[in-house]
Amino acid sequence: MAEKYPINLWVNEERYEKLQKAGLAEMCEEMLAGMKVIRVYADDNQKDKILQVFPTAKFDASTTKSIELLPKAVKDKIFDKVIEKQTIDMMDDFLSAY
Amino acid sequence: MAEIGHGGKEIVERIMEPAEAAEKIKGLTAIPIRSQLANEVIGITYGFFSPLQGFMGKADVDSVCKNMTLADGTVWSIPILLDLSDAEISEYGVKEGVTVLLTYQDNPMAILEVEEIFEYDKKAMCQAVLGTDEEKHPGCARTYEYKDKFVGGKLTLVNRPKINAPFEPYFIPPLEMRKRFKEKGWERIVAHQTRNVPHTGHEWLCKGAWFQSYAELPIEKPLVGVLINAIIGSKRKGDYIDEAIILTHDELRKSGYFGDHNHLTSLTFWDMRYAGPKEAIFHSMLRTNLGLTHHMFGRDHAGVGDYYGTYEAHHLLAGVQDKLSVTPVYSMNWLYCPHCGEITSEGLCDHKDEQQKFSGTLIRSIVMDGVKPPRLIFRPEVFDLVMECAEKYGFGSPFVTDEYLEKRTPVFSILPMSA
Repeated sequence: MAEKYPINLWVNEERYEKLQKAGLAEMCEEMLAGMKVIRVYADDNQKDKILQVFPTAKFDASTTKSIELLPKAVKDKIFDKVIEKQTIDMMDDFLSAY
Repeated sequence: MAEIGHGGKEIVERIMEPAEAAEKIKGLTAIPIRSQLANEVIGITYGFFSPLQGFMGKADVDSVCKNMTLADGTVWSIPILLDLSDAEISEYGVKEGVTVLLTYQDNPMAILEVEEIFEYDKKAMCQAVLGTDEEKHPGCARTYEYKDKFVGGKLTLVNRPKINAPFEPYFIPPLEMRKRFKEKGWERIVAHQTRNVPHTGHEWLCKGAWFQSYAELPIEKPLVGVLINAIIGSKRKGDYIDEAIILTHDELRKSGYFGDHNHLTSLTFWDMRYAGPKEAIFHSMLRTNLGLTHHMFGRDHAGVGDYYGTYEAHHLLAGVQDKLSVTPVYSMNWLYCPHCGEITSEGLCDHKDEQQKFSGTLIRSIVMDGVKPPRLIFRPEVFDLVMECAEKYGFGSPFVTDEYLEKRTPVFSILPMSA
């Protein structure tokens, strides 16, 4: 199976409220001693495109194998797309704008 | 009593008293230097880089590249170079035997007795020191930016840097550092190299190293300390701001996660080469000069990307251990295990399917998302201080921005000599 790399959308109160309103609060996972997170995944090609389009982003290859340091505004857009599509399988849709 | 540093050589500060310095610099040609070189002038003249007495000549550079030693056989892993262009050499009249004045921020900083002007193949230097000549490696990029000629010679500081707030208490040069250790009664001191705001993985890395270093020593009184030695140098956008790094480490002591009896925070000026194993050797030499007896080395120490193997630095250190004075303290990852309900080491916990690894990068992402991590992961005092630093020093951000790079107060200033 192709490798998938998570992007962690950490859920603060504002994001949790939006999820509740959309009836999607159960999408949250718990990580790191109780923090709520929604994890969306990128495949290899999507990862490469994300790192190219958003130069501050970093793939944490040594520890977490996740895509980190996306600007909050970008993460907000991904989060909004999750709400809009009601699924975490939305990366192609999100990246089509770039 | 002489203080002995790396290579068994006495640490000698190469610093001239102000009255003598004012006389000595009269009539010297002034050559402005950039921040990396100013950092290295401090490193050399205060003894952080002992036994170096100045910028390297060709024999030392060649030996560093080919043998990982200075020309006299002392282990040394990274060239320390002053670069000038042909035009500058001509404009400033730089030639063997002359003495010139290096200036920083338009003020006198150090005198350089020019012993040698030479060229060196930068690509070969990269390959030898960094194990690659790829331009995308930040150490190679830095090397390729050097101008075409190198100037070797002894340095003497003529004007001490003024360390600006809030960094003043953390600039502790080798001879002063060794006094502090004696005052504290520490027999063993283990170094933690950092460029990060500490999360609890870092905290436990230090605590684990403290236990390891304590070993068979008697426990009736505190005999072992952790020295946090933050590397302060050039910044990249998205890094934590320097103020947050240094103050949050000290906050772990102030908030009681450590104490005065076992924890001290300090800084060293150095622009990272990301040389992985070779940088680990450099850190070992640097911390020897600071008076350390032990040094933490984690996975992929001082590496970047996937240029170096996870334990390559450990292997290189082991190969020259008999020529280094600090004992390496190796550590595995510290992580969060929900089953244990605690931060633990991957070498201890066997709940492999439940372990949750976290890194400084991951924590930065959490903070960027505007979320306060739980205290098991990131101490609340540290989080609050990061946010305070963002307001006080970071123009609203705890991370380096263009505005920070442009407007920040420099960590140190070289003031006019009459001041």
